[in-house]
This record gives sequence, C-alpha cells and structure tokens, in this order.
Amino acid sequence: MKTAVVLLLALLAQAGGNVCLSQGMRQMSAASQLGSPAIVALLLWGLANPTIWLGMGLLGVFFGLYAAALSWADLSVVLPATALGYVLNVACGAYVLHETVTPARWAGVLLIGLGVGCMSWSVRRPALTGRTIGDL
Amino acid sequence: MKTVLLLALLSLCGALGDVSLAKGMKQVGALPTLRPGALLVLGSKMARNGAVLVGLLSLIAAFLTFVVLLSWADLSFIVPATSLHFVLATLGAKWILQEHINRLRWFGTILVGLGVALLALPS
Repeated sequence: MKTAVVLLLALLAQAGGNVCLSQGMRQMSAASQLGSPAIVALLLWGLANPTIWLGMGLLGVFFGLYAAALSWADLSVVLPATALGYVLNVACGAYVLHETVTPARWAGVLLIGLGVGCMSWSVRRPALTGRTIGDL
Repeated sequence: MKTVLLLALLSLCGALGDVSLAKGMKQVGALPTLRPGALLVLGSKMARNGAVLVGLLSLIAAFLTFVVLLSWADLSFIVPATSLHFVLATLGAKWILQEHINRLRWFGTILVGLGVALLALPS
C-alpha cells in the first residue's frame, strides 16, 4: 500500500514537472531555431525561468519518491507504475498543454503501456516460479 | 534527425541511470522511515555510493537532453518515445550480455516498439 501511494505521488509530481518544463521551454520561442552550439546558451537561459525551476523542483520530488520506493521494492515492482506515467503525461499534454494528440498517438501510448506491463511481468514470473519449485 | 539522435541519447542515459540507481539503492539499504534525520542519513550514504552517483549523472544527462528536446517537440510525443530505452535494454541484454529473454519480454518489447512507431506517425 505504501509503495502504491508513494508511486502515485511520484507520477503526479513527474507529470506536473514535465508540464511546467514544457511550458517554460515553449516560452523561449526562438529555441527551435537554435543549432547545437546554442544548446548551452538555451540551458543557461532556462535557468532564469521560474516555470522551469518549478518543473525541476517537482521532478526532484519525483526522483526522491522514486528512489525511496526503489529502496524497499524491486525494480520489477516499481517499473510497471511507469507504464501509467506515460498515459498520464500524454493526457497532460493533451488537456493541459492543448497539444494535438491523434488517435494513432493514443494507440501508441496504450501499446507502450501494455508492452512495459508485459516486460515487467516477465521479470517477476521466474522469481514466482522459482519459489514454487523451491517450496516443493 | 536531430530529434532521433537526442532521443537515442536520452534512452541510453535513461536505461543506464535506472539500472545503476536500482543497484546502488539496494547497496545503500531500505529507507526505514520518512523522518528528516533518516532522509539525511540516506542522502549521505547515497552520496558515497558509486552506483548511485553513476545513476545520478546518467539521469542528469538524460534530463538535460529531455529539456532540450522539449524546446521543439511535444510533451505527448517525447515522454512516450523515451520508452525506447526498454527496447534498447532488451536488445543489449540479449546481444551484449547474452541473457535469456523469455517470450513475454519479447512480446512486451515488440509492443513498445510498435507503440513508438505509432507515435512517430505524422499527425
């Protein structure tokens, strides 16, 4: 239960942080025109933007909660929660940032969520099987 | 092309960061409570653990790449596209580490790959 609550808070902080970062970076309208040598200048410019600081703070909260969850639960337990994170981030992109999310993109995100879920479960299965054989 | 290269860098750094951080946190030990004192002790242990530091540096590199990508690409594209690191991790485990990959993991990897391909379709 503790892991589920902490992971849910972590995912909400991550989605909020990403929305703030995206908004902050979009405030730099010339960013898309910059070439690779200007990437450092772009990052320095970003450090002066309060929305980006808020986003970084929320992502810091995410990192702390994620690391705490990893300290008491296996990565194969924590990882499936990240599948929900993809859907949450795309929903924030669509409904908060008003990005155009096509049906194909929604389908892609659902496939990714299912895929990450399968991969996580594939890590857990051998451990469960091993324990059963050991018990016998 | 610039977006594809940065996405690849982001995926590589993300995969390395996740694995190193997980390894490091297991070495550091479980967090018994969320009290500030315990958090400070944990932070101190994390700062002295090599795997945690490698994980942190990799995740910082991934984060900076992510921020740069957000300056020209949609959040609803970039975040799901980072799942490419699961595909890279599986291929690396198979071809570099010679690990056995079971059918369910291959199935999940294919689903993630198909999902990323759908994301890349022009809107």
